[in-house]
Amino acid sequence: MEEPPLREEQEEEEEDDDERDEAGPEGALGKSPFQLTTEDVYDISYVMGRELMALGSDPRVTQLQFKIVRVLEMLEALVNEGSLTVEELRMERDNLRKEVEGLRREGPPANGEVNLGPDKMVIDLADPNRPRFTLQELRDVLQERNSLKSQLLLVQEELQCYKSGLIPAREGPGERREEDAVVPRVSKGGSNKEEKTTIKKLGSFITWQEGDEQAGKRRSGDFADA
Amino acid sequence: MKSSLPPLGPPVSRDRVIASFPKWYTPDACLQRKEQFHGQVNEACQHRHTGTVGLKLSKVVVVGDLYVGKTSLIHRFCKNVFDRDYKATIGVDFEIERFEIAGVPYSLQIWDTAGQEKFKCIASAYYRGAQVIITAFDLTDVQTLEHTRQVPGSAALRVHEGSGTCPTGLPKPEPVAGQWLEDALRENEAGSCFIFLVGTKKDLLSAAACEQAEAEAVHLANEMQAEYWSVSAKTGENVKAFFSRVAALAFEQSVLQDLEKHSSSRLQVGDGDLIRA
Ligand SMILES: Nc1nc2c(ncn2[C@@H]2O[C@H](COP(=O)(O)OP(=O)(O)OP(=O)(O)O)[C@@H](O)[C@H]2O)c(=O)[nH]1
Ligand SMILES: [Mg+2]
Repeated sequence: MEEPPLREEQEEEEEDDDERDEAGPEGALGKSPFQLTTEDVYDISYVMGRELMALGSDPRVTQLQFKIVRVLEMLEALVNEGSLTVEELRMERDNLRKEVEGLRREGPPANGEVNLGPDKMVIDLADPNRPRFTLQELRDVLQERNSLKSQLLLVQEELQCYKSGLIPAREGPGERREEDAVVPRVSKGGSNKEEKTTIKKLGSFITWQEGDEQAGKRRSGDFADA
Repeated sequence: MKSSLPPLGPPVSRDRVIASFPKWYTPDACLQRKEQFHGQVNEACQHRHTGTVGLKLSKVVVVGDLYVGKTSLIHRFCKNVFDRDYKATIGVDFEIERFEIAGVPYSLQIWDTAGQEKFKCIASAYYRGAQVIITAFDLTDVQTLEHTRQVPGSAALRVHEGSGTCPTGLPKPEPVAGQWLEDALRENEAGSCFIFLVGTKKDLLSAAACEQAEAEAVHLANEMQAEYWSVSAKTGENVKAFFSRVAALAFEQSVLQDLEKHSSSRLQVGDGDLIRA
């Protein structure tokens, strides 16, 4: 009952003996216990089985052989378990090593500081003077300011005309508006059409408006300081 | 085109009436040496042949480093005020100044751009369609003069060589520090702009120091085919003379261009809107 396994081991060992271990099956006994592989355990059982057989068929030998096989099986289980654990730990170590290397490559996560690429900046949300408006918003405000200013200039001049009597008083402001449409009715909320009218009156204002819009599309993502 | 600016404007103030051609500041760097309006222009004005669309308003763009005094110069001229405190221009601002030149109403739309680098992308959108580019620098700060300078052989020279290439069609590089003139020229058709180089804060320099600074500026002005002026917004020295010169040159060019455009079908506009008042 105990013999067959030993035999099997022997046969297997004989097959790959030469390539595997130059010291032969006995070499396994000289190894450090922490270096032992299952192959070494089989080598040892082969050696011991051979010596036990040489002792003949004394019933005490048979009894001892039973115990020796049991011990060898235990040793085999331990070595198996050990090598599996080692393999698992090795894999885990390699994974962690990779992870650390990746983190290191991304830069040191310094205390409280965010790691930024080039041309980036950090905005302190608690800073009341932080940049918070987009370039496009500033453009829009400027354009509206310019439009209002040009309307103001026109109104001022018209007022001066009334004051100096260049426009007869009987020709009321309402009439004149209809005739010449010089002053847009801002009260209507300055719709696009009316704004355009004013701009047209100022000739080349159209030029900057177009240029502005194009430029706006190009860089609407930029920040302007508040 | 019915009414334009001013629609039926009040009469321009007396010191905006330009009857004879304003003189240059220095003959060493000036755009024109003659002291009279072009004969054709005089005649056209007398016979009211000038009433064509687009004549009555020219766009002027003022560029230059921050703090050189662009806003101060414009405010001195348009409002006759001077503020010793610096308030940076945000993006752009503008003023409209009305003249009467050779008997014809004429307006300058003066665009005051911000010198701060961060506004350049906004201000540069307003460069287009300028008939006059004024490049300002601080007479007491050599660096600001350097910053007006463009790479030799670039846009300014092309403009004056009158080659047919239009720089506006090219892909736009990002605006760089300085290079004020080059950036402004890039937005305009070749050969269409008068260029002025203006040294500011003349009151801060001794006569000798001013002379020295001017020599350098005149040299650069010639390189960039510009007319040179020294001014002081604080004292007002040369401010009115300078803008009168700008207005007269722009006006004359406009009239000549219009005459050329309409030479085949001459317009009789004696009774037109332009002279209505
Ligand atoms: N003494 C003296 N100071 C001047 C003169 N012109 C301007 N300044 C001062 O120079 C400073 C800057 O003037 P601004 O006109 O605001 O400069 P700017 O070129 O418009 O500046 P940005 O709008 O930022 O491009 C202000 O403190 C002015 O009072 C001048 O002729 N003489
Ligand atoms: Mg300014």
